[in-house]
Amino acid sequence: MPLLELDGVTRRYGALVALDQVAMKVEDGEVRAVIGPNGAGKTTLFNVITGTVKPTAGTIRFAGQPIAGLPSHQVCRLGLSRTFQITSLFPEMSARQNAELAAQARHPGRWRPFGGARIFKEARQRADAALDQLGLTGIADRPAGLLSHGDQRLLEVAMAMAQQPRVLLLDEPTQGLSVEETGQAVDTLARFLQASRMTVLLVEHDMEVVFRLAHRITVLHRGTVIADGAPEQVKADQRVQDAYLGGLD
Amino acid sequence: MKGATRSIWIVVGLVLVLAPLGLPPFAMTLLTEAVILGLFAMSLDLMFGYTRLVSFGHAAAYGFGAYACGWLLLNTGMPLLFAVFAAGLLTGVMAIGVGWMCTLATGVSFSMLTLAFAQLLYAISFKWTSVTGGSDGLAGIPRTIGPLGFAALSSKTGFYYLALACLVGGFLLCSALVRSPFGAVLRGIRENEAKTTALGYNTRLYKIAVVAISYGLGGLAGALYAPFAGFANTELLFWLLSGQVLIMVIVGGSGTLIGPVLGAAFFMLMEHQLSAWTEAWALYFGLIFIAFVLFAPQGIWGLATGWLQMGRLQRPAPRP
Repeated sequence: MPLLELDGVTRRYGALVALDQVAMKVEDGEVRAVIGPNGAGKTTLFNVITGTVKPTAGTIRFAGQPIAGLPSHQVCRLGLSRTFQITSLFPEMSARQNAELAAQARHPGRWRPFGGARIFKEARQRADAALDQLGLTGIADRPAGLLSHGDQRLLEVAMAMAQQPRVLLLDEPTQGLSVEETGQAVDTLARFLQASRMTVLLVEHDMEVVFRLAHRITVLHRGTVIADGAPEQVKADQRVQDAYLGGLD
Repeated sequence: MKGATRSIWIVVGLVLVLAPLGLPPFAMTLLTEAVILGLFAMSLDLMFGYTRLVSFGHAAAYGFGAYACGWLLLNTGMPLLFAVFAAGLLTGVMAIGVGWMCTLATGVSFSMLTLAFAQLLYAISFKWTSVTGGSDGLAGIPRTIGPLGFAALSSKTGFYYLALACLVGGFLLCSALVRSPFGAVLRGIRENEAKTTALGYNTRLYKIAVVAISYGLGGLAGALYAPFAGFANTELLFWLLSGQVLIMVIVGGSGTLIGPVLGAAFFMLMEHQLSAWTEAWALYFGLIFIAFVLFAPQGIWGLATGWLQMGRLQRPAPRP
């Protein structure tokens, strides 16, 4: 059974069809990239899966359980953790505190209005482990707002990992990075993905990043899936090349 | 706690506890009111300073608590101690509804809804004469001793200790709260609510909870004020008071709990001193407020701790 399964997922904004009958399956342990030109519906797809936006129609199953239409905090608690295209952190907290707050969200005692030393300790352990996975241990005590952009992007991934998710959703993890920063971030991500064997759904603009990280690629164009397969297969696909060259009208 | 800080606390505590021995009655009246207002300002700090929920209608909590306590004391035989806590609790329960409604919106709209709610209560206090006494308010509120004793609480000094105990209790409660896992989530909401939601927290429930706790403590302060002053009137629900308590929090130093208490005392002191000197005291206090916002946004407590830390830099710094 696929870990994440979408079927007939449609999202309309008035007359605009942002997602049109999208179907895809993500297997356990797979790194899947979703690519497509600007406005293809990649971020909408993420928002629909994570519950930020409700689908107009269609079903989404996570480990067999339907999740379409659930509020985002509930989807997140089932084990889907996401990062954002535009960096979203707690700028005045240290990197470690950022990851700790992420880890605490999974703890049944997160509501506790007094004490909580044990909860903090567990969160701290998970946070430190996640920071270590992404090579951020050295900057753990620095305020997140003062980190380099590359480290901020990785910190977001570490925060998602501190939640020990079953699926990691990365929305353009190298967005806004310089070529050099992108190279470093992708090296770290590739090492981390290989070591952790996480199931990942990745939206990315940068083709080099996609081909380095993904096992399988789904191509979106104007809200529909136009190709789905291994990287070489997709690269050779005529429809994909047309879409990226601005054809297919 | 570090040695220097602890000794400062002990001195402050002793001064407050021993104050009735040395101060003349009118000064005790001022000090009691400052303690009550301090609790009120501290309650707002939970929302304003720790969660960045800006309430423009915190007078709703104060006034509601005052009217509830006054009504209980006038119309039931309930002893003072119970009436005060019952009124605080009632305010907190009422605030679950307020929080539920106001958190439908965020940012400025949230603030406007809190203001609208306070104005609603203000209007009700005018019109519902049979319960609120209309524009006369509730007068002659007794400090009922009740069958269980506690006679000492109804004296001037005893009432001061009651207010002081509520302030200290409120402080201990709030400081435990902001250091807890719950408090960590509040800080997350303050810094980035969207991210906090994305991490899997139901931020709206946290916000409703903090509004209820904050209003409950504000209501407790109002509940102390009614038997302290002997009356409850519509001014306790007026937006002017909502503005003043925000000023107390900002001048004292938001997000510190202690700061707003100092801010309330400072506000009382200034009101007292400046109004003896000029009719337009509010104008001058306004200037002081502007000066704080521009030059010391961290407030009185921020300035004080800044100086303390500067002194500590001379020595090898202990881990915070």
